Amino acid sequence: MANQETQVLDDIIATNRRKMMTLGVSSLAALALGASAPLAEAATASYSDSDILNFALNLEYLEANFYYLATFGTTIDKPNAASTAAGAPQITLSGTVGTAGTVSGGSQVPFSTIQVASYATETAVEEGKHVQLLLTALGTSAVAQPAINLGTSFPALATAAKIPGGSGFSPYASDAAFLVGAYVFEDVGVTAYHGAASLLTTPANLVTAAGILAVEAYHAGLVRTTINYLDPTGATIGGYTNLISALRATLSQAGLLGAQPSAYDSNPDDFGLATFSVMLGGAGSATATRITDADATNVIAFARNTTQILNIVTGGGAVSGKAAVSPAMGVFFPAGMNAGPNGFR
Amino acid sequence: MANLSSFINSDVSRRRFLAGVGASAGAVGALNLFGCGDNGSPMTSPTGPTSPSGPTDEDILNFALNLEYLEAQFYLYAATGSGLETSDTTAGSASPYQTTGTVTVGDAALVSGLTSAQQQILNEIAFEEQAHVRFLRSALGSAAVPMPDIDLSFFGPLAVAANITTAATGDGSFNPFSSFDYFLVGAFIFEDVGVTAYAGAAPLISAAGVASGYLTAAAGIMAVEAYHAGYVRTSLTGRAIAAGSASAYPYLAAANLVEDLRATLTVGASAAPSTSGSVETLLTLPANLTTASSIVAASAADAVGFARTVNQVLHIVYGSPTVGAKSGGFFPNGMNSIFATTTA
Repeated sequence: MANQETQVLDDIIATNRRKMMTLGVSSLAALALGASAPLAEAATASYSDSDILNFALNLEYLEANFYYLATFGTTIDKPNAASTAAGAPQITLSGTVGTAGTVSGGSQVPFSTIQVASYATETAVEEGKHVQLLLTALGTSAVAQPAINLGTSFPALATAAKIPGGSGFSPYASDAAFLVGAYVFEDVGVTAYHGAASLLTTPANLVTAAGILAVEAYHAGLVRTTINYLDPTGATIGGYTNLISALRATLSQAGLLGAQPSAYDSNPDDFGLATFSVMLGGAGSATATRITDADATNVIAFARNTTQILNIVTGGGAVSGKAAVSPAMGVFFPAGMNAGPNGFR
Repeated sequence: MANLSSFINSDVSRRRFLAGVGASAGAVGALNLFGCGDNGSPMTSPTGPTSPSGPTDEDILNFALNLEYLEAQFYLYAATGSGLETSDTTAGSASPYQTTGTVTVGDAALVSGLTSAQQQILNEIAFEEQAHVRFLRSALGSAAVPMPDIDLSFFGPLAVAANITTAATGDGSFNPFSSFDYFLVGAFIFEDVGVTAYAGAAPLISAAGVASGYLTAAAGIMAVEAYHAGYVRTSLTGRAIAAGSASAYPYLAAANLVEDLRATLTVGASAAPSTSGSVETLLTLPANLTTASSIVAASAADAVGFARTVNQVLHIVYGSPTVGAKSGGFFPNGMNSIFATTTA
């Protein structure tokens, strides 16, 4: 079935798969996989399942510490009364690969609403479980927790995103500010696991990655729904989502290093909560919210490769012109992620 | 947990995988970090490329298309009072199914009493499910199945089966088009199921299908279903919190009764919601600032989302635990699918 959709390869896997094709698998070669524009850099072709899960572990270290600090006022490895009472996993930082670093910044949010407080608590517990799952599965291959900046990184990103008063932004100041901080992460988590899904080689790893992808999307839906509910006209935090998404999309596009995006991509690959116009069945046009972060044609969630994700979480540290910078450093990862021998870029 | 001492660089195992040497990834000893099925659901069989006599990628996508037809009709009726355009429901020229089905509308209509903000959210979800129908039809091309007969009046019998009583009438009737809160419960019937259906189907896609981008697409659609489920569960939870108590917001309890029913229909993983082995997570009403919510439907042990088999999904949408069921529930004359009959 050689229609347009089946001919275009996901850029994340494309180069790797092309190499596989040329090894003479005739049935696959017969699929008439149409050649498209220059494909994304082959950096990802050398990642093992272990590498991919370690990449995810770096991101989970980041997310989990953010939520633990915001919710309980402590990091994932230092349980306190609040984290214990909530059932949040007490993480033993057993990863050894790479350089262990410390977590800077962060403090407990003075939550005023049950809605936001309960969402923060739930998410912290779940991200803690993800860290634990990955640490256990990776065993002696697990990367150590790298240096993580959860303090000055936020005003830096807020300034870059041109959020009003961005230089003074703290996600720990209030319920609303916390939601903005959470917004920074959740859609990124979706795109990271989505990008990883096609790279994993064993079905069991894929099943688990798909399960974590689903949870990240539940989280993103939760955060976006709540922000939309609290600020439906976009005057404040709702409007900030558009600014953050625009910044992420710019960093993500740079991470393509000049290659064409995949069939399921679009430019931008990140949308805030601004409403948009849709055509519904035979009923004509209508105004729609944008709870779901996906393209407007097929409504398939975006996927990003490691360069794109790194460029976002390091605030541009993964790219220089059309070349990948490795190790990528900056913003949330001031000393870069920890990686196995293949490195990350 | 898998013993990592047999780890082989996955580049090598991937080449073998695609070349068909050792059809099962496990046969070449590839790294298998999550072999234990921690998500508490019955793992879909971890085999490699499907055998020649097994389901094709088209079969899998067409199964998903049947479900998307149902969701799209529900949401389009809820948002606009009318459904998919006929041109979005007809058969591909090569499909063995050539009859386009019809919708039994029942009470389906534009949801009453929506605020403009709520209307915009319904517009979004309806648009997105319509987009999924169109994407799958486009990807399948001439192999696309037509929409089967769909019965949107099944919500009533479903509510009876789930022991839902309405807040207003107390007579067991249930009309998801009568108010925004009832709509949320109606949407709730579908969304967690949609997530688990795509999660279960993803590993069934062949290596060739993966290379064609089907896995990326399926995972991306699954993620969108999870965004939707996150929206519905957050709304139910948030509105319950605002109302102040479970009795003041009976829709949360109604949604949990739907979960109870779904759990009993999930043959092979029918443990009660939020108990060991279940693929359902109950909604809760957090009582104070330190209690967690339960927006995410995932395993308690490791917060991994659930998966369902095709058979389990079929039992739910047919509304029947019967083995050998060919139709029922939302599909009064069965799905247009090789998977149309429950097999376990």
